[in-house]
Amino acid sequence: MSFKEFLLLNMQVYCVLVTLIFATSLIVGLIFAPEQNLRYYHLASPFLMAALCTLPSFITYFKNEPTLKQYIFRHILQLMVIETVVLIMIEPPADTDSTLFYLMIGIITVVIFVLVKLMIWLRKYAESQKLTEQLKQMQKNA
Amino acid sequence: MQIKITKTGRDKPELLEIHCHEISDEVREIITFVRSRQGKLTAVADEKQYEIAVTDVFYIESVDNRSFIYTEDKVYETRQRLYELENMLNEKHFLRVSKSVVLNLMKVSSIKPALNSRFTAVLFSGEQVVISRKYAPALKKALKGRS
Repeated sequence: MSFKEFLLLNMQVYCVLVTLIFATSLIVGLIFAPEQNLRYYHLASPFLMAALCTLPSFITYFKNEPTLKQYIFRHILQLMVIETVVLIMIEPPADTDSTLFYLMIGIITVVIFVLVKLMIWLRKYAESQKLTEQLKQMQKNA
Repeated sequence: MQIKITKTGRDKPELLEIHCHEISDEVREIITFVRSRQGKLTAVADEKQYEIAVTDVFYIESVDNRSFIYTEDKVYETRQRLYELENMLNEKHFLRVSKSVVLNLMKVSSIKPALNSRFTAVLFSGEQVVISRKYAPALKKALKGRS
């Protein structure tokens, strides 16, 4: 993957993250602070959080082809950085069990991380299916 | 080595005759090149020399500067370098898919995703060959152009 392709992929990841963070805010908000009023500037937070969570993707970029160990290590590191960023940035609402809140946010972060990786894999799967179709066509034409 | 070309009539078969003092490596290379142009590769297995039809080759792999030709059920060794074979066979649906493998696209049954922008080519023999990140764009381009 060239750096340009990597950037394009991360822009897609950013858009998916914004959507998932909005959905998470809705679920977590309804559980922990359903009565809390929000101001308009709160709507900016998913965009900011998505940007902060997309930046650690650069840890996974390799100029040369990595070994399987390097690949797994970088992805675990990426998840750890994202978890740290999220837990530092988010504050629990007043009158809530902060341990439960942080635990839930931690778990949701892992779920979102896995969903994004799944999305990337599905994208690649579709690409490989297209390549197989082109290959079959080439074999038929030969 | 001198080269002499004589035009012949259409009624006679084309003939390449080599006059040499001994069958040296250079002569063998010429023979291999001509045979590959005819759709055949010269290789060795079990200390015997074989002529393998290019269409029977699944992939060619280079290991420790030695090139191995893989067919459905046998592995042969050839004296030629991987890059020479790549240049010779790229018009016959062969493509470099990693640093050490030239793959016959006609023997690939499907392409699967693999980790980190790699792909895996599943061959009709059931074997799997890794298409590395570096060569994946060339494969995409080749398939787009040939399909």
